[in-house]
Amino acid sequence: MSKLKKGVVYLLFAIPVVTQLYPLLWLVLYSLKTNEEIMDGSFFSFPKSIQWHNYTEAYTSGSYLKYLTNSVFVTGVTMIFVILLASMAAYAISRFRWKYGNLVMTIFLMGMMIPMQATLLPLMIIFKNIHVLNTHWSLILPYVAFSTPIAVFILTGFMKAIPHEIEESAFIDGANIYRIFRSIILPVSVPPVMTVCILTFINIWNEYILAATFISSEKLKTLPFGVYTFVSQYSVNYGNIGAFLVMGALPVILIYFFLSNQITKGMVAGAVKG
Amino acid sequence: MKVLKVPARTIAVFIVPCLLLYVCLVFVPILVSLYTGLLKWDGLTSAHFIGFGNFKEMFFHDPVFWPSVKRTLLYSVASMLEIPLCLGMAILLNRNLKKGNTLVSIYFTPVILSVVIIGQLWKTIYNPASMGGMLNGVLISLGLDSWTHNWLTEPNIAMFALYVVSLWQYFGYHLLIQYTGVQNIPDELYEAAKIDGADGFKADRYITLPLIVPIFKISIILAFIGSLQAFDLVMVMTAGGPAHATDVISTHMYNSSFMSFKYGYGSAIATFLVVVCLVFTAFINTIFNKLERKYT
Repeated sequence: MSKLKKGVVYLLFAIPVVTQLYPLLWLVLYSLKTNEEIMDGSFFSFPKSIQWHNYTEAYTSGSYLKYLTNSVFVTGVTMIFVILLASMAAYAISRFRWKYGNLVMTIFLMGMMIPMQATLLPLMIIFKNIHVLNTHWSLILPYVAFSTPIAVFILTGFMKAIPHEIEESAFIDGANIYRIFRSIILPVSVPPVMTVCILTFINIWNEYILAATFISSEKLKTLPFGVYTFVSQYSVNYGNIGAFLVMGALPVILIYFFLSNQITKGMVAGAVKG
Repeated sequence: MKVLKVPARTIAVFIVPCLLLYVCLVFVPILVSLYTGLLKWDGLTSAHFIGFGNFKEMFFHDPVFWPSVKRTLLYSVASMLEIPLCLGMAILLNRNLKKGNTLVSIYFTPVILSVVIIGQLWKTIYNPASMGGMLNGVLISLGLDSWTHNWLTEPNIAMFALYVVSLWQYFGYHLLIQYTGVQNIPDELYEAAKIDGADGFKADRYITLPLIVPIFKISIILAFIGSLQAFDLVMVMTAGGPAHATDVISTHMYNSSFMSFKYGYGSAIATFLVVVCLVFTAFINTIFNKLERKYT
């Protein structure tokens, strides 16, 4: 290939790097400026002196740590339930001989096409009646439910391919079905479980609408909802808003920085298998 | 294939917890919604059964409904348009770089962020230059002052401003999917084609394109269904405003239910949304199954 052609191709590769990353970098610069520097409207300039106090102010006035802890709790509990329930269901669907296995699978698959927001109002009515509205359970329960179809699907696909001899020999050695599940099936299923973890984490950690609809107590808000509240409350202090947005993005960005390979692979697996 | 035969009770232990939770929280709400869609109900006073009254209202009298359906469909079309571009880019990446993965991971970064972050970031980008908006700042420094806009508050432009954010966020996702698909095509095929005198674009036409159809379908479905459900980004950035200029089906549903407290009417829109999603998924699947049969 000619040098010119190569140059054009590399330029083509460079453009998305700028468009995809520059807005994020711009936000970081924005968060370190004074209000006056922000309002002069230049699209690229460094702050004259770095305004760290934007961060300390955002941190103290925005109960960042509380939102973060809530998000960790809600996402963590959701992930544990999804893995446990989905792997059990997947085991039954893929390895047991029974009439309704395919039917159950179809029911799960149908759910993948149902938009979550269509359940917002009915869920709110139901939750209000059973008094779980405005608790973390009002988030965890639907999060688990909406994460299971893809999880069951991925795990079933994997478990179907585990050789049956392993189970048979364990049976002969006197292990019961629960034991087999716990000490054979689960340990060999670590790769698809990782995929499920990644998909669930990204979806649930970032979820906003359910949280904004079902949670009203300040002390129960998750990070995306917390960020939203902060931004609408402090709408004139641009530096603080920028700082809070950066802090809101930071956990996922950090995780992505260290696990980008696993995350991209997991997301593709989720898309392709879904 | 040998499959374990276990007593029904054991099967139940494994399957019931998951299935029960799932049915109660996904299917039951949808059924409840089907029913409340037939009511005139504000959530507080007692409900009246009015049959298909809400649907009549929705289809024939609501001035916001059809425009919001149109916007939702345009949203879907807009997000599908970037996929051929992503495929082209993926082919180029695969041919020119040994380690394209790093680059693709960089493009992918916006995908993992919450729509709240994305939405607020772009709101700031779209701000007037006097409030530090980047886009208007760029335009002014290029001397294009007359091109500056209040991107999110001018009814004619706001919807396009939202499309751009969606395209921006999901560019990396579709590129990643296409890139993985292209990478999975065995090199031997291209080598064999080279011997037969086909390389470059010719090889793409006869090898890459037919083999990528299934992966292409996945991207299309994701983009299409994702945009039919388009919701949280619009809620965060404009909440359907100004004056319903950016209302999509979901935001119209949300505003009817939670802002105007028309529970029955909101449920009717939700029912419509579910039906549209199911019908279109089936439709796209049929089209692509035909395509796949044609090419393989």
